Amino acid sequence: MMFPEELRYSKEHEWVRVEGGRAIVGITDYAQDALGDVVYVQLPDVGLEVIANASIAEIESTKSVSEVFAPVTGKVVEVNTTLEDAPEQLNTDPYGAGWIFVVELAEREQVDSLLDAAAYQAFLEE
Amino acid sequence: MAADLTCLDEVAGGAAPVLRLYRWSPPALSLGRFQPESDVDLTACRGLGVEVVRRPTGGRALLHGGDLTYAVAMPRPPGTAGSVDALYRVLAAALVAGLAELGVTAALGRDRGPAGPVCFAAAQGADLRVGDRKLCGSAQVQRGGVVLQHGSVLLHRLPFDELDLLAAASGDPGHEARAETREETRARLRAKSVTLAELGAPTGPEAVASALVSGFARTLDVEFDCTVGPAVGAGSTRGARMDGGSRPRVQVVPLHP
Repeated sequence: MMFPEELRYSKEHEWVRVEGGRAIVGITDYAQDALGDVVYVQLPDVGLEVIANASIAEIESTKSVSEVFAPVTGKVVEVNTTLEDAPEQLNTDPYGAGWIFVVELAEREQVDSLLDAAAYQAFLEE
Repeated sequence: MAADLTCLDEVAGGAAPVLRLYRWSPPALSLGRFQPESDVDLTACRGLGVEVVRRPTGGRALLHGGDLTYAVAMPRPPGTAGSVDALYRVLAAALVAGLAELGVTAALGRDRGPAGPVCFAAAQGADLRVGDRKLCGSAQVQRGGVVLQHGSVLLHRLPFDELDLLAAASGDPGHEARAETREETRARLRAKSVTLAELGAPTGPEAVASALVSGFARTLDVEFDCTVGPAVGAGSTRGARMDGGSRPRVQVVPLHP
């Protein structure tokens, strides 16, 4: 299982990649493995104002519906519409083509409170 | 099913786990959380007196009326760690134990390949099969650390099935490729499922409900509080209100044979 060093992670199993004032968000390799084959992703609306830890998207896998939480506070400025036709990208490329949404960060510092790769792996082993 | 969701919210809010068992009157077609409504032939449903409801859980269309529906809302059991499959296995063990009390040997089974719009046409997730035929289909939703799983045990068949209620184009992904007639499709889909009646097992809702309660209680090592409520219509929350309390609760709502 892979957890790239340059990403930050939430305890709800989302990853965050910061680019400028924006945070790209997806689910971790651990999460996609736990969910199994993803068949549908309910994306958030662009323009939605989100608060960290709020439920923002839903994923269906093997007849189970699970929530995706916003790891940071801000405004959704982009969503990955390719997931509408190819939700399996969450399984095949969770840190790349399987990104889910982009948040314009309200506070850049909030990302620092997320886990780094080593801390996330330690959390998984608890 | 709105009542099932209420149970999920209550358990997420700290209430005791709940196991509900109920039947449907009139019959209803339940669609998965994200299943397109265009899959359904609403005119056909109206003509046959079938209500259409949407489940909060995943999966595909399922016809209720000949089934006993169970719904369990509980904190995720230890050791499942968010794994959908692990959770399905824990709850499947409870269902298998319950069905065993009816003399039925069921096991988890999963078909390969994509699922069509009909739930009982393919086994996935926590679906239980007897031999290679599906007896019980289940689906779930997880919120925070709490899971709601509900599903149907087929008691007997109704005079019509999902194929009569779904839009013709969505009947089955193999339909066109096989160039088969509607009746051939129906026979093929029916051959993939089985009812307790066809297995020669008890079909009395009370007996089946009692066996399932026992299976859940023994397997999950909990003693449920048991209450009996009225029959549930599609979308109704009747019978769903339960007193808050710390003990796991069971609600059995099977009133007609």
